[in-house]
Amino acid sequence: MEIGLRLAVSLAQIAAVMGVVMLTVMVLTLAERKVLGWMQDRMGPMEVGPYGVLQPIADGLKLFFKEDIIPAGANKFLFTLAPILALVPALIGFAVIPFGPTMTIELFGMQVKPFVISDINIGILYILAFASIGAYGIILGGWSSNSKYSLLGGLRSAAQVISYELNVGLAIVGVILLSGSLSLVKITEAQAGGFWNWFIIAMPFPQIFAFVVYVISSVAETNRVPFDLPEAESELVAGFFTEYSGMRFAFFFIAEYANMILVSCVAAALFLGGWNAPYPGTILEYIGLERIAWMENVVWFAAKVYFFLFLFFWLRATLPRLRYDQLMRFGWKVMLPIALGNIVLTAIAAYFFPR
Amino acid sequence: MNVATTAQPKRKPSLGDWLKTLTFYELLVGMKATLTHLLNYKPITLQYPHEKRLLPDNYRGMLALLRYDDGTEKCVGCDLCEAACPSRVIRVVSGEVPGEPTKRYSKEYYMDMTRCLFCGLCVDACPVDALGMTREFEWAVYDKRQLHLNKQQLLAIGDRAYPVREKRLELQHPNVAFFNVTFKHLPQKEN
Repeated sequence: MEIGLRLAVSLAQIAAVMGVVMLTVMVLTLAERKVLGWMQDRMGPMEVGPYGVLQPIADGLKLFFKEDIIPAGANKFLFTLAPILALVPALIGFAVIPFGPTMTIELFGMQVKPFVISDINIGILYILAFASIGAYGIILGGWSSNSKYSLLGGLRSAAQVISYELNVGLAIVGVILLSGSLSLVKITEAQAGGFWNWFIIAMPFPQIFAFVVYVISSVAETNRVPFDLPEAESELVAGFFTEYSGMRFAFFFIAEYANMILVSCVAAALFLGGWNAPYPGTILEYIGLERIAWMENVVWFAAKVYFFLFLFFWLRATLPRLRYDQLMRFGWKVMLPIALGNIVLTAIAAYFFPR
Repeated sequence: MNVATTAQPKRKPSLGDWLKTLTFYELLVGMKATLTHLLNYKPITLQYPHEKRLLPDNYRGMLALLRYDDGTEKCVGCDLCEAACPSRVIRVVSGEVPGEPTKRYSKEYYMDMTRCLFCGLCVDACPVDALGMTREFEWAVYDKRQLHLNKQQLLAIGDRAYPVREKRLELQHPNVAFFNVTFKHLPQKEN
């Protein structure tokens, strides 16, 4: 009985988070086209609903009813597996993201943490591990399609994701050194009390370089412009998902946007203080509304995440795609030394000025 | 003229160059440009089926056969349009007007609009202004055989595009009426 109740509460939490993430993905597909359009003096989608706001629903319906094609000569098992392998790791990472303040509420006689599904003590490591598995979905999808474009896209993705995964991991190490924990909840709590405590500018050693490395590497890791070599539409048709159609294509699509949200959440939690407001405490607390102070924290978290998502669109509207050798050189010769140097300096600073 | 490009001698990067690289100066310039366009949002898009652009006066749209104001066809079946057409769009089958051996008309008149390039040479070639270019352009069809137009269809296009028609040639030109001595029903020379 107790176990069943706990399972039900956990499932409800997971469903809520999945719902929010899927809703955000829907909003993002529209927002990306709108923002790109506005930046290029266009209007974006305008036909479905007022100002095109129902476009994601129309797109979803279309993808749902499209024919599911498996190309001749494709490896059927891997071809079917690849989209799932891409989508699941992208969604599973949200389990450890703290969306709001750490608090426990009594629910059916149980202690429930409402704003984090599971506060495991190796949260950030868990996210990195699953992000790496997501690369398998792309590589296998590219390989199993039996198409040269897909294969090239998969190859590029393999090299790119490995190179930039390294930089993401190394950029995070500085934050972990300062906070002394791998749990995203603890890392966020360590940044409480005003924006000067956020790890991007926090003493003893501001993680601004790590932040820049992380943002650039995460753009590369999610295969977004200007690092969208795996799907480079002007070179490789659509890269690794050239041969995919219908719901399988939609899975890759959702995975890409879910990955964007995930890296934005991680960036907000690690460097920009997560759900902490840029001032100590919350305004709602000061005016005597402690019970709903969590709303302010959640809004701050959402604002930071949406800032990063806007940055993704903004970069896409501005920058041309890098050449492959430029991408590799930038990853290994520029980002990696910066990340390593940051670790060394942070370690020295953290040793002499312990928090 | 020396076409061969000589490589610029590589300048030693100054402190400013390094600062620009470190602060992503060039990227920020580009991002500022896109953000400026986002903030001063003035789309140049025309929501086409809902709003249409103003066509110029000399717009060359769908071709049409015209009539005089009394409903008779202008076309005299001279085949000059067929000869002028560079894409062989037009096919005219000429014939005598029954009972009037001096008059000819087009018994059949076909246009294959799938080939037309809307150059307007047929309109220029026509000696009696029987052809006109309308301002219609929305002629997308599901079956391209619908673009093989016959005389009736072309006349219908002309009727709806030019509701105000010209008078007969004999009536609109005074000099034609001046020499009009054989036909008593036409306006005669004023004395």
